[in-house]
Amino acid sequence: MHNLGTVMRFEITRTLKKKSFWIMALGFPVLMGAIFAIIYFSNQSTSDASKQLQSEHFSLEVTDDSHLVSKQLIATVNAKVVAKQQGIEDVKAGKVDGYIYYPADLAHRSIEAYGQDVGVFKNDRYESVAKYLLSTSVESSVNEQVRAVIAGKTSADVSTYRDGMPYDSTMQMIFPGVFLVLFYFLIAFFGNQMLTSTTEEKENRVIEMILTTIEARTLIVGKIISLVLLALLQAVIIIVPALLGYLLLHDHLHLPALDLSSLPVNWPRIGVGFAIFALGFIMFTGFLVLIGASVPTAKEASQFFGMVMILIFGPLYAASLFVSSPDSGLVRFLSLFPLTAPIPLLLRNAVGNLAPWEIAVALPILALTGLIMLALAVRVFRFGALEYSRKLSIKEILSLK
Amino acid sequence: MQFGSVKVINNLSFSVKKGETFGLLGSNGSGKTTTIRALLGIYPPTSGELLVEGKPYSVAGDVRLGYLPEERGLYKKESVIDTMVYFGQLKGLSRDDARNEATAFLERVGLADKAKTRLDKLSGGQQQKVQLGITIMDKPDLLILDEPTKGFDPVNRRLLMNIIEEHQKKGATVILVTHQMEEVERLCDRIILLKDGKAAAYGTVSDVRKAHDGKSLDDIFIEIYGEADKEADNA
Repeated sequence: MHNLGTVMRFEITRTLKKKSFWIMALGFPVLMGAIFAIIYFSNQSTSDASKQLQSEHFSLEVTDDSHLVSKQLIATVNAKVVAKQQGIEDVKAGKVDGYIYYPADLAHRSIEAYGQDVGVFKNDRYESVAKYLLSTSVESSVNEQVRAVIAGKTSADVSTYRDGMPYDSTMQMIFPGVFLVLFYFLIAFFGNQMLTSTTEEKENRVIEMILTTIEARTLIVGKIISLVLLALLQAVIIIVPALLGYLLLHDHLHLPALDLSSLPVNWPRIGVGFAIFALGFIMFTGFLVLIGASVPTAKEASQFFGMVMILIFGPLYAASLFVSSPDSGLVRFLSLFPLTAPIPLLLRNAVGNLAPWEIAVALPILALTGLIMLALAVRVFRFGALEYSRKLSIKEILSLK
Repeated sequence: MQFGSVKVINNLSFSVKKGETFGLLGSNGSGKTTTIRALLGIYPPTSGELLVEGKPYSVAGDVRLGYLPEERGLYKKESVIDTMVYFGQLKGLSRDDARNEATAFLERVGLADKAKTRLDKLSGGQQQKVQLGITIMDKPDLLILDEPTKGFDPVNRRLLMNIIEEHQKKGATVILVTHQMEEVERLCDRIILLKDGKAAAYGTVSDVRKAHDGKSLDDIFIEIYGEADKEADNA
């Protein structure tokens, strides 16, 4: 692996010099931050506006066949009790801003609200006031405990045990689950770069200069390690602002307290998660580089990206099956077929339903497939990369010596 | 050397002596570039051996090789100096030495002001000069130049000839793959003419000329490949 450091330095430096890398690296956290900010402020302003609507004064008439709405409350908001037909007619005639009808059977019929049009958002005031009058009336007629139950504000502290020891399945998922997130992140962000990493040498006709200066294996390994380091840099660029944001704003935004020290650390599962992640990543990197080396241009390589993404992330659509039916034939197949295996294996390892025998079979399958992919990728790059203008067929790839 | 059912190089045997300039000549498709690629291990030979100083060529070996391939190309989006320093380091130079060598070469060929320019902003001829600079920057023992003057104007062709001569004088072995008989007459000690992957003529320039009634290399070339063209026409 002579010159590995030189290749890595060159690949990393030139990537860091590209505007597109920084647009992607900084754009993602900025975009996510902007989206969360918009959602937060939108919810906040909707909530504020909703509260404001409830307290907004407008002329109102009410009919209460349910007998649940407090007459005192109706009087407090200066509403007038009228017959249903009159209320509707008054609204139509513009004599009153709004009218609310509470039917006798609220369990099966809707409250009816009529009002003057005051615009898309402000028209919600009729529904808001209707619900406010009803809920406040009902809540005031029961005690605090019943009120909490009705409002869904009760909570349950669950303690679960395994082999007599406290065991929280959800918390156990967190550390092994990190590898699933990391795998998804690396492939989603850098898959296309892996796919096109060797096409540049082809498109620029620099293959012969390279192959007489450096081993193909060193070049490819150098490129892969560089991409991993760049992906980790990208992860840091996303995680650091998120952590800083959390530390600075978690009180202000009412975010839950995060206490990492209380998370359970299951070393065997973390170890298996790391092994699946590393072997799966190597296998897909080899696969992507192999495709890239087999086609003449980055554009053609990109056409295969969708297919690879379906293989990798398609199993996510069966995520609930992996959790609920680990013994089904489909789950077993997807977990052991190398090109679909990483996501099911990582997910099942995180939730803790991966049997020891499956680990013993799956890890060698991933390792062997990864080695074959990498060896084929190096071979194709070495001996097939001079095919500047055409795709290599599978037969040609397998027959390269 | 065979691709599928097509034999590109057939029963070819020749040697290049250390320190000489050897001309590998032939018409398009005669197998010159394939021979060089097989020599450098880019193509594995179907049978036989191609050796450099008694061993198959390996990038990890002791031989300092400068190869200017027929297919020209560099990392187009990188600057001239970064690309030259990268290749210099791959060839075993330190970063500083690679930068010094690159700077000296660029000054010599009139591209000093383009050092920080992206390669795709240079003309084709300027890019070729950069590629030549990369080829010779580690002062190679063996210099293989495949159609080195292709695309050069007469001024730059002369400059290139001078650079090759300098390396000859320093004792480098040079293999020149070319169609330009003027270059061959001026630079080569011995030559081989390939036809259909076989040697049609092989020896010193004067021996080859003597064997063809003292004709010029141009005439010998036309004689050999003209016959090939006639055979092709008859077929």
